[in-house]
Amino acid sequence: MNDRRKLRILWNLTKGYRLSFAIAIGSMAVGYMFMFGVPLVAKFSIDAILAPQDMAPADWLLQLARSISTGDEPGIVDYLVLAALATVSLTAVAGALLYLRGRFASLAAEAIIRRLRDQVFNHLEHLPSRYHDKADTGDLVQRCTSDMETVRVFLSAQVIEINRALLMLIVVMPILFSMHVLMAWLSLAIMPFLFIAAYLFFQRVKSLFTIVDEAEAELTTVLQENLTGIRVVRAFARQSFEIDKFALKNAAFREHNKRLMALLGAYYSFSDIICLGQIGLLLIIGANWVSEGSLSVGTLFAFLTYEGMIIWPIRHMGRVLTDSGKAIVAIGRLSEILSEPMESQDEYNPGQRLTGQIRFDKVTFAYDSLTNVLNGVSFHIKPGQTLALLGPPGCGKSTITQLLLRLYDYELGSIKLDDWELQDLNRKFVRSQISIVLQEPFLYSASIAANLQIGRMDATFEEIRQAAMDACIHESIEGFPRGYDAMVGERGVTLSGGQRQRLALARALLKNPPILILDDSLSSVDTDTESHILQSLKKRRHQQTTIIIAHRLSSVMHADKILMLNNGQVVQEGNHDQLLSEPGVYRQLCEIQGAIQRQIDLDVSTQDAADMTSEKQLAKP
Amino acid sequence: MSDAYFDDENFNDGFDEDSYKQGVKLELWKNLIGYALHYRKEVCLLMLCAFAVATAEVAFPLITRSVIDAVATQGKAVDLGYYGGIYLAFCLLLGVAVGGFFWYGGKLRTHISHDIRRDGFRNLQELSFSYFDFRPVGWLMARMTSDCERLSNILAWGILDLVWSFTMMAGIAGAMFYMDAMLALVVLSVLPPLIWMSLVFQKRILGSARLVRKTNSRITGSYNESIMGVQTSKAFVKEAENLNIFGGLTGRMYGASFQNAIQAALYLPLVLTLGALASGLALVYGGLQVVWGTITTGTLIAFLAYSRHFFDPIEELAHWFAELQMAQASAERIMSLVTAESDIKDSPEVSARISANTRADKAIDGYPNVITRIEFKGVSFSYDVGGLVLNNISLDIKQGESIAIVGSTGGGKTSLVNLLCRFYEPTQGQILFDGIDYRERSLHWLQSNLGIVLQTSHIFGGTVAENIRYGDLEASAEEINDAARRAGAHHFIESMRDGYDTPVGEGGSGLSAGQKQLISFARAILADPQILVMDEATSSVDTVTEQNIQAGLHELLKDRISVIIAHRLSTIRNADRILVIERGEITESGSHAELMQVEGRYYQLYTQQSLSEFSRKDASWVMAPSNDL
Repeated sequence: MNDRRKLRILWNLTKGYRLSFAIAIGSMAVGYMFMFGVPLVAKFSIDAILAPQDMAPADWLLQLARSISTGDEPGIVDYLVLAALATVSLTAVAGALLYLRGRFASLAAEAIIRRLRDQVFNHLEHLPSRYHDKADTGDLVQRCTSDMETVRVFLSAQVIEINRALLMLIVVMPILFSMHVLMAWLSLAIMPFLFIAAYLFFQRVKSLFTIVDEAEAELTTVLQENLTGIRVVRAFARQSFEIDKFALKNAAFREHNKRLMALLGAYYSFSDIICLGQIGLLLIIGANWVSEGSLSVGTLFAFLTYEGMIIWPIRHMGRVLTDSGKAIVAIGRLSEILSEPMESQDEYNPGQRLTGQIRFDKVTFAYDSLTNVLNGVSFHIKPGQTLALLGPPGCGKSTITQLLLRLYDYELGSIKLDDWELQDLNRKFVRSQISIVLQEPFLYSASIAANLQIGRMDATFEEIRQAAMDACIHESIEGFPRGYDAMVGERGVTLSGGQRQRLALARALLKNPPILILDDSLSSVDTDTESHILQSLKKRRHQQTTIIIAHRLSSVMHADKILMLNNGQVVQEGNHDQLLSEPGVYRQLCEIQGAIQRQIDLDVSTQDAADMTSEKQLAKP
Repeated sequence: MSDAYFDDENFNDGFDEDSYKQGVKLELWKNLIGYALHYRKEVCLLMLCAFAVATAEVAFPLITRSVIDAVATQGKAVDLGYYGGIYLAFCLLLGVAVGGFFWYGGKLRTHISHDIRRDGFRNLQELSFSYFDFRPVGWLMARMTSDCERLSNILAWGILDLVWSFTMMAGIAGAMFYMDAMLALVVLSVLPPLIWMSLVFQKRILGSARLVRKTNSRITGSYNESIMGVQTSKAFVKEAENLNIFGGLTGRMYGASFQNAIQAALYLPLVLTLGALASGLALVYGGLQVVWGTITTGTLIAFLAYSRHFFDPIEELAHWFAELQMAQASAERIMSLVTAESDIKDSPEVSARISANTRADKAIDGYPNVITRIEFKGVSFSYDVGGLVLNNISLDIKQGESIAIVGSTGGGKTSLVNLLCRFYEPTQGQILFDGIDYRERSLHWLQSNLGIVLQTSHIFGGTVAENIRYGDLEASAEEINDAARRAGAHHFIESMRDGYDTPVGEGGSGLSAGQKQLISFARAILADPQILVMDEATSSVDTVTEQNIQAGLHELLKDRISVIIAHRLSTIRNADRILVIERGEITESGSHAELMQVEGRYYQLYTQQSLSEFSRKDASWVMAPSNDL
């Protein structure tokens, strides 16, 4: 993306607020005209004081002076009072206009940024999962915050700053040249060089700014990893290792920062000398002309004042332009997000509840082009049936559920929900028909009730409670200090893995769609609770099609159909009885459990009944 | 990313942002200034630079005055080169001083924030877990990043501003009184309203800036949440809802930022107008004096120049004072983090023993290195809030023994392990290692003899190999390989794109839950610990893989003490002893067979999971004839 296109994007962003910007810049221009009147007043006053006899007031001024004069003819006092009044009122009017500048500029900038924030947020939510897989969360958040802030500062401050320096020059030049042409040339002589030098300098240090930012990001990463993994750090007594690691990044950040400050110091030192030198030159040469009588003292004063007013904004321009360059980069990074295609949304929406029939036919799928995660998977579930998926880590269990949710789009084979091809159905419709409990459930940092309500917004509290009971989490929730109103996440109650899973389950149960998916969602739940949950699932058995991924036999053995997966292929298919009767992984699995049971039974049967009492004693700690 | 991303709304950390109402807390700032005083030389030079800058700035109008008066009195005979020389000298002085204050101020600022961060980080490594229970990661991050920067800025530039502003004000006032006392009084009459207005406005501007910052950190949090939870949002079709909530937030941000901008936009014209009033007064009264011949034109011009500039230092000072008061809460937070004392650390006696110990065959604290026996004697425990989590636990574990802990969620299983690892200490009773209370032993020794696989496995960024190597920093590729093999992780690691050198993504995002568990398991094996603790370490791993690990573990655990928390029957059956923990007490203890016979809680828990209980009727035929319990 070239700079021209980025500028166009930036220009398009201002749509609807260009008038505000125009008002801001217009008021600023008029404001500076008033502001620049003040030194002129001082100039005429000084000249009048020094040579009252040469004073030739205009008619309106004479009239004004007469009106406030106590004597017959206005004296110097009256003119000075008028000058003071003019000074104050010119400044006040200029101030009012500058206030308008600030008001309209920030109005426009903040409104544009608000719109952009919403737009990016909405876009992120609708980007396909493939995009989110590859994207780095930290980087995305950085773009949404730092880059956004860079653009905001550009709109609210730098746009104004650039215009300010230009407008000041435009307004001040006629005044300077009308007063004294040679002095005017002398005042402006340094400006182009100062501007170019400043610009070149900041272009050079731009890379150092980036280095400092990166050093800070690295420092933050080390800190964050350490704090989130503090238990692991302690468990392996790696404190000194971590301290060394942090010290390295901490020192690097410090040194880069220091180097930046030193460079800035050198620049400001140098440019201060140049700017003040320029004013000094004006003073000495001006004084020389005053002594020769070709320049009045008042004019010299006016030149010195004007120079002091415009030279600093010009010096600042180099910085402003460099920062604007950063804004161009930032807008580029933001529009990269916005130009990513969103998930398609215009497929057919049947608008009716599905029955829950699912048919996979030779589905092949890969996250990247390298390896197929699913390789010709076919199966069929009738409405209300339960399907269990089993297999080693990475065999494609979760992938099947993600395809069903249309989080990813398959390219080979066919998936049918009822009689519709999944790919032809509207994503949001498909997702509204499926409830899923993810392997690592995500909870929002909101209250527990709000987290549950995500399942169904119009659920009554009674229904929420019922869902929580079915998921065996009600009692735990009641145990929190604020019950259902307790906050989840960093600022609230800390939930154990099992509690998170059960909350996510309750949320999914509340939704009550035709298809329910449990992706290894009972792994952190104790067997007691698990069997309660399985009981409540059993009650709903024929109301919804259920897909269960689990490792405990007790969770899967009642399924109408069990699929054993390995390397993205179905290696065994059937119900518990069928699979037990054929050699294979499933039977091996049952045998592991069966062997234990046989062992127990053996132990029990060989034990003498008389030992029972002693056993019971032994069992007491 | 984490910059100020943690705000204080909904989270009461006991520090009040509005503490400026209570006045400045001197003790706190004395602590902080201690950090600056490490760099006495820099502080002195910085003050000197600030002084020089202010002096030069005060001098320029005086030079202008002399030039104009000289021209007026001497006419063409004036030696302008002389004045040019003086001007140039001050110009160079100012230039050098500006360079100096950037250099020393920058040095001071970066070093102070570095030092605070260093101390904070060191302390965080020592603080006990009870400290972390109530302080979320985001909170700690905000202290260590943005608060640190903010405070060091206030300290370094505060010193500069303070010296510069006072020198400047005193210099300007002095110069004015030196030139003409009456005129000085007239011009300075604008000062009181100027000071009052600056204080009022700076406080308001900073107040609304704080609201902006808070809202901004919530927006950051929302972006973060929307990205992390994107799958959940999609699955529940929550996009519109989320955008709606987010829109409320950006709306608030708009309001707050706009208010902040308006306040700043109002302040500037008011100050300018007050300055113009001073100029106007100088013009009338000074002008008349020039006409009367009591002051020179040069003096009038100097007065006009000063009246345009003397609000600069006042604005700076007002801003700094407001900032200082608002930053007090930040200062308190970060200092509390630096100075917090760990409630679990080596006692002075232990430290003394560690430094006295010279025997290489012993542990660093002079006691035997080998752990042959661990005893819990009447151990009770409660977290800072809530009732007893463990109640009067007594337990005796010998070297080579494996202990499995079962029981319902919240019964105290993980707490027991936390005590064993000395992440927490018993509130009552003792834990003895070979007869010695572990509080009399080195914490570092104990924890470097631990291998722990936690419920939620934490994976660092970096490669697979780096993650496993965390268990033993000196381990060779061979040893890493071997540990992974034992953990049942070798197979899938080899099938990854770059094998052991494959990056795992942030927080292990490229791995499935089961894979993460296997890697943390390998890490613990590599550590070659005397005590191995597995807290639901294989809950996301399939039963066949898990069985293979079990088989390999048997050999590994021979001379170690191992503690396993698990729900799956197959995981715990091999343990030498099984403890059932319910409501903080050990209710049953014995081998699998023994506990099954008792037909107590254990029996109940595991028949629920067993095949025969569940499907006695339809599946019992596959089992051995005797499998009916």
